[in-house]
Amino acid sequence: MYLSAQLRLLSRCRLTRHIASGNGTHYTIAASPATAAKEEEEHIEIPKRIQRSSTDLLQALASTVGRDSTAPHYKYHDDPYLIPMSNVAKRTYALSKEAGRKAANWIKEEHRELFLHQEAQPAIEKFAPSMVYTEQSDVDVDSLQQLIDQGELTDATLVYNLLEQKGVAVSDALKQSLLELVCFYNNQEPLPEEYIEERWFLQNSRRRERHGKTWKDGDLAEKLYEAIEPKTPQSYAALIRGMAKYLQCERAYALLQEANERQIQLDTNTYNAIIQIVSYLKDSADQRWQLCSELLQQMADQQLHPNLNTLNALLECISSFGNFKLARSSALKLLAEFKQLGVVPSLGTYYYLLIIFCRERAPVSHVIVDILNEIGGKEFKIQHPKDTYFFATAMDVCRNHLHDKALAKKVNDLLHTGSNYDLVGDSFKESIYYRNYLALLCQTESIEDFMQTYDLLVPNIYIPEPGIMEEILRAVEISGAVDQVPRIWSDMVIFDHTHRESLLLYVLRIMVDNRPNAELPAQQQLPEQCAKVALDMFNKIEESAKRIRKVSFTGQMLGNILTLLVRDAGNTSSFEKASEVFAYIDKQQHRIPGTPADSALLEYVEAAVVHKAPTQALAALQYAVENNMETSALAKCIHDGYTLSEVHLAKLKSLVGEGFLEK
Amino acid sequence: MNFLKKVLPIAETQLNMANKSALHTSAVCCRVQSGRYRITTKRDRPLTYEMANPPHFIGHRKTWNSWNTSTLKDGLRPSQTAIEDVFIRKFITGTWHALVCSEIIIKRQHNTIRIAAIIRQAISPRKMYFLIGYTEELLSYWMQCPVTLEFQTVADKKDVVFKYI
Repeated sequence: MYLSAQLRLLSRCRLTRHIASGNGTHYTIAASPATAAKEEEEHIEIPKRIQRSSTDLLQALASTVGRDSTAPHYKYHDDPYLIPMSNVAKRTYALSKEAGRKAANWIKEEHRELFLHQEAQPAIEKFAPSMVYTEQSDVDVDSLQQLIDQGELTDATLVYNLLEQKGVAVSDALKQSLLELVCFYNNQEPLPEEYIEERWFLQNSRRRERHGKTWKDGDLAEKLYEAIEPKTPQSYAALIRGMAKYLQCERAYALLQEANERQIQLDTNTYNAIIQIVSYLKDSADQRWQLCSELLQQMADQQLHPNLNTLNALLECISSFGNFKLARSSALKLLAEFKQLGVVPSLGTYYYLLIIFCRERAPVSHVIVDILNEIGGKEFKIQHPKDTYFFATAMDVCRNHLHDKALAKKVNDLLHTGSNYDLVGDSFKESIYYRNYLALLCQTESIEDFMQTYDLLVPNIYIPEPGIMEEILRAVEISGAVDQVPRIWSDMVIFDHTHRESLLLYVLRIMVDNRPNAELPAQQQLPEQCAKVALDMFNKIEESAKRIRKVSFTGQMLGNILTLLVRDAGNTSSFEKASEVFAYIDKQQHRIPGTPADSALLEYVEAAVVHKAPTQALAALQYAVENNMETSALAKCIHDGYTLSEVHLAKLKSLVGEGFLEK
Repeated sequence: MNFLKKVLPIAETQLNMANKSALHTSAVCCRVQSGRYRITTKRDRPLTYEMANPPHFIGHRKTWNSWNTSTLKDGLRPSQTAIEDVFIRKFITGTWHALVCSEIIIKRQHNTIRIAAIIRQAISPRKMYFLIGYTEELLSYWMQCPVTLEFQTVADKKDVVFKYI
C-alpha cells in the first residue's frame, strides 16, 4: 500500500511524458530543478488507461519463465529419489499422484459431514463436498438450472426425472439447455476437468474407440427432444449436432432434411456437424463432394456465413478422398474461396492440408514449405479440436515425406514460439513429435551437432524409445564416434533398454569395430571405459536370467565382451575379468549358441601372452579345437609367445598335433 | 526434584494463607526442561540437528517450525493457525506412517501452505507420489487453501542423526 501511494505521488507528468514520448531514456526521480521547471510548461498527455484482466500480471510473470530442460517437469517432486527416469516412470508417477488426489476427493465425498466447515472467505465451492441428489431429495426447477450451469450431467438428469415424477412443469428453455448438455456428452459422465494427467496420458487408448456409432438411440436426449413442443431451431440443432458427434449419421442427416422441409432456420455449426460426417454418409469421392456442395448451397440459401469449422470439416471430408489429384485440387479451391470470405485458418486447417498433400502413395509435395512461410513466427490459440494434431504431423512429414532437416528446425522453432507449446497435444503426440525430430536429426546431422540436441531434450523432455536408440546408435556407428558410446550406454541403462538384444549387439559392435587409438589424447580413457561398459553388460545379462524378460548370451556377444575387456591392456584386473568371462564361455559352451569370432580368441590369447598366463591361453586353444575353429594362428601365437614348460608343450602337441612345430 | 514436588504444595498453601496476592518465587521449571533431551545412560539416543539444539538457539542455530504472521500485531487467526498446525503435523505423521524422520515445517504465504519434511525412502516412489497427491488434496480440502508438499527423501533414518546422547 505504502509503495503504491508513493508511486502515485511521484510527479505523474514526468512519468507519462517519458512514456508518451517513448524516447527510452532512463527515468530518474532526481531531475535537476531547471529541467523540472521547463517540463511543467510542456503539454502533458495522459495516456488512456489499459484495461487489464485479473490474471494479466500473472501471465506477464509466467511469460518470463520458459521450460527448463535441465530439470524434470514441475509436476514431479523435486527430489532425486522421486525424479522419473524412464517413460514408464513418468507415466506412473504422474498418474499415481492424481490417483492420490482422487482418493482424497473420495474421502471428502464419503465423509461429507467432516468437510462442511467454511474457512475461506468467500467460500470456495470446490473445497466443499458436492450436493448429493437421491430419489428422496426435495428438488425444484432452480436446482436443475444450477446443475445444468455447473455441467453436472448425472445429477441434472436425476433431478429432471424427479421433477417429472412429481409433475413439476419444466420450462421449454430449461429443457432446451438440458438437451444441449445431454447431446454434448451423449448422456455419459465426462472425465472431470481437474484430472489433467489422466487426459494427458489417455489419448493413446481412446484413439481406437472413435470408430462407429456411440450415440444412444431412444435415450434421454431424444425424449427431451420429443418433450419440447413446438420444435425450435435450437432443439433441432442440438439433436443433430449430438447425433453427428457420436456418429449416428443417417438419422442426423434425416433430421437435417426434416428441418429443411419444415423451413426451420438452422445455424452454421449444425451444418458443420453434418459436413463432418459426410464421409460416413456417402461412399465415393464424387458423391461426397456433391453432398458437400449441396449442403453449402443450402447454407447459402439460408444466408449462413461459413466459418473456420466449416473449412476444417470440408477439409476433413476431402482428406478421405482416395484420389489424390481430386483431393489436392479441391482443397486448393476451397482455401482460395475461404480466404475471400475472410476466414483465418487455424493449425487444424494446416494439419488437414498436410494429410491431403503428403501421402505415402502420392507424389512428393512441398506444401509444408509454403505453410511454414505463412505461419512461421506466429502465435496460435486453440480454435479447433484438430489443432493439436499439427505439430506431430508436420514433424512426421519432415522426416518421412521430405527428409529435410532445415524444415524440421523451422517446425521446432514454431513450436517454441510464444505459447504454441500448449498445442502439442498430449503425451502420445509429444513423443511422436520428438521421436520423428530426433530420428531425422541423427540421420542428417553430424554426431557432435546431434548430441547437442540430444543433451537438451534427453531425459527431461523426451526419453528415446528403443527404436530411436537404435537409430542413434546407427548414427554413432556411421561416424565412428566411439567416444559417445559410454555416455549412451549409461542412458540406456537408466531408460531400461538393456533387455533388447539388438541394441546390446549394436553397442558391442560399435566398440569392437572402432578400436580406440591410444595415441590420441582424447581417446586414452576409451579402452578402460569400453571395458567397463562390456563388463557392465555381462553382469546385466547374467542378472537378467532370473527375470522374465531375459536376454540370453550368444557366442558372438561374449566374444565381443571378451575383446573389449582384453583391449583395456593397462589394467590387470580387466584381464582377470576377461579370464572369468572366458571360463564362463568354456563352461557354458553347450548352452550358448554360436562361438566367439576367431579374432576375439586371438586377441584373448595375445593378451594372455602379455600377461604371462599360459594356462588360460591353452584353455582358449582347447576351446577352439573342440569347436572346430581356426587353430593354427592361436597355436603359433602361443608357441612364439612363451617358453613353454614340458607339461604345456605336451598339451599343445596333443591339441594341434606334432606336425605343427615343423612348419 | 521429588522432594520439591512434595514440599511445594505445602509451601504454596501456606503462602496463600499468608498472602492472597500469591507471588511465585520459585524458579520456572518449564523454561529449563522443555525442548531439551535427557542424556541416556548408554548414550544411544539419536538426535537430529533440530533436536540437538535447545530452544534458546532458535533464530541462531535453528529456526521456527511454523512460519506465519498470525502472532504479529493485528495478525489474523492466531489460535486457529496454531490448532491447524497441530492438525497438519498429526495428519502427516499418521499418513506417512513411520516415514517422517524430521520435524514438520509449516510455512504460510498469502493463501498457500507449504509443508516441508524429510522422508525415509522405505516405500516405492510410486506409492510416495500417491501419498503426496492424497495429502496435498485432503489438506487443501480441510484448510480450504492450496497446500504444497516440499518433501525431501533420505535413504536411511541414520542420515538425519546429528549426534547420540
